[in-house]
Amino acid sequence: MKNLATILAEGDAMRASAHYVLHLYIAGSTPNSVRALANVRQICEEWLDGRYDLEVLDIAQNPALAAPARILAAPTLIRLAPLPIRCFIGDMSRRDSMLVSLGLRPLVAWSA
Amino acid sequence: MKPKRLTKAAIFLENQDLRARLDDVEEMLRAIGRGEADALVIENGAGPKVYTIEGDEAEANRFRSDMLAMVSDAIVAVDDNERIIYVNAAAERLYGFPASSALGRKLAEIRTSHWPSPEAREAAVAMFRDRGEWHGDHVHILNDGRIIDIESSSTKLRNGYGGLGGRLSVMRDVSARKKHETQVAISETRYRRLFESAHDGILILNPGTRKIVDANPFMTQMLGYSHAELVGRELFEIGLLKDESASQEMFQKLRATRAVRYDNLPLETRAGQHQDVEVVANLYDESGDPVIQCNIRDITERRRAEEHVKLLMAEVNHRAKNLLAVVQAFAHQTAKYGDPANFTEQLSDRIDGLAAGQDLLVRNHWMGVDVADLVEVQLAHFKDLIGTRVLIDGPPALTLNMAAAQGIGMALHELATNAAKYGALSNRVGRVHIAWRVTDAPKPTFSMSWQESGGPVVAPPTRKGFGQIVIGRMAEASVEGRAEMAFRPSGLSWDLSASVENTLVSTGSRVQMRTGNDAR
Repeated sequence: MKNLATILAEGDAMRASAHYVLHLYIAGSTPNSVRALANVRQICEEWLDGRYDLEVLDIAQNPALAAPARILAAPTLIRLAPLPIRCFIGDMSRRDSMLVSLGLRPLVAWSA
Repeated sequence: MKPKRLTKAAIFLENQDLRARLDDVEEMLRAIGRGEADALVIENGAGPKVYTIEGDEAEANRFRSDMLAMVSDAIVAVDDNERIIYVNAAAERLYGFPASSALGRKLAEIRTSHWPSPEAREAAVAMFRDRGEWHGDHVHILNDGRIIDIESSSTKLRNGYGGLGGRLSVMRDVSARKKHETQVAISETRYRRLFESAHDGILILNPGTRKIVDANPFMTQMLGYSHAELVGRELFEIGLLKDESASQEMFQKLRATRAVRYDNLPLETRAGQHQDVEVVANLYDESGDPVIQCNIRDITERRRAEEHVKLLMAEVNHRAKNLLAVVQAFAHQTAKYGDPANFTEQLSDRIDGLAAGQDLLVRNHWMGVDVADLVEVQLAHFKDLIGTRVLIDGPPALTLNMAAAQGIGMALHELATNAAKYGALSNRVGRVHIAWRVTDAPKPTFSMSWQESGGPVVAPPTRKGFGQIVIGRMAEASVEGRAEMAFRPSGLSWDLSASVENTLVSTGSRVQMRTGNDAR
């Protein structure tokens, strides 16, 4: 059975190398959509450095885009990769919580 | 119908799915509660529909947003981190990016700004910092390589969109206008240079007031008035037309025919000098306003040249007649005094001498002949002896007038022919010394001598031949001077003296033209 240190080290390795595929669903230029876009792009640039594909889908212009992913509200960010698929609703302004939820920062700090 | 029994595994999976969806709904409700979601997707039979969660100012915000979207200028808002938070439809068209691609990106990812100089950029930044706004022109270089001239107006977002700070910029693509302005500037430079450097005077006039509105530098030089003095004046006031009625007449003609030409107008300069000018005036349309352009050409030189040609024609006619008269006299005299057996040879020889002198005159544009050149030409047959047996001695740069050149030239020719046949140049040792000089006392006198020595013993001629007439009376007549000849046994000597005034061309008045039939 893996010990905690091994699990955490694997998590670090995954965070350092995984390619992220993100879909951000916005509703036009509403304030929360604009904030969400700015926040997501900032996170990508600062934490993923070329290891990401970000697609922005405007459901105000094309509501049909919401159906396949069963989008309930906007803005919504879907992490399609790495698995598992994760879903975030809101303006993505709670940076620390977002980084942990996206798997970009460990839940707990540790030292080997 | 009996309900389908589900397996335990299927129930587990369905349960998982329902739990996940419940989590999503809870997350959505939390987000709505935090005010972070502003649109809901409701599924109905026709598919999903998006409903915006509207606040108190939703209507006003939508109205503002609709207005910005309709503005034909590009509008871009960025937050404090230079991330794009708003682009309208015109900005999407300008930059070639849909809003969904541009929003959230750094502005620098879409385009970079190019400033005329670092100072211009610093000034713009300082103005924006101090006043919260900036207006001006700069250049945007887009990621696809396009370069756009932008007229921009930027304002600080004090209570920014969505609670963010930042900057709102309204931009207009002025590339076409700039290109046009550049072309106009090039054209202006090109035609301004033509106007400024033209060697014709150019005046631009207002047909309504008949006053000068512009004048080129050549015009100011021609008239002696400064540009400021010319502008606002009428043509008759600057001495181009004699009075106001003449000016009115010209403008009437211009209105009727749109072009007027005066081949010869007397122009009076500010200093009172007169010039002959040719004036061509044209009535043009300049952006809907009539304007007159007058080209004024100083034709003084042209008229002088025309007069010169006229005089030359008369002179050529006179000289042709004169030459024919001389040839006729040569023929008569050669026949009268010479041996009939040698008539053709003698006459031909004399005409050759005359022609040689004539060539020199033509070469010097009828402005006289240098004495040394004349001597050289008339002694061309003895070129090899010059410096040994033919000694030439006289100051340079003495120019004989036309009559003197012809008379002395013929005399030298006769003397040379005589020396070759009977005198110093008829044997192997004789010498000829040709000298000329100018003396001042008692009055300026030109004198020339031909001194032979070493030839066969000379005996005075028993009868006077035509040659003696040429070196005697004819030479004297050509310079209104005196010719003396002596037939000494040691050799022939010939001396000619005349006033400088009758012989030489004075510097500064080398051209002496005759206009009538004043043949001497």
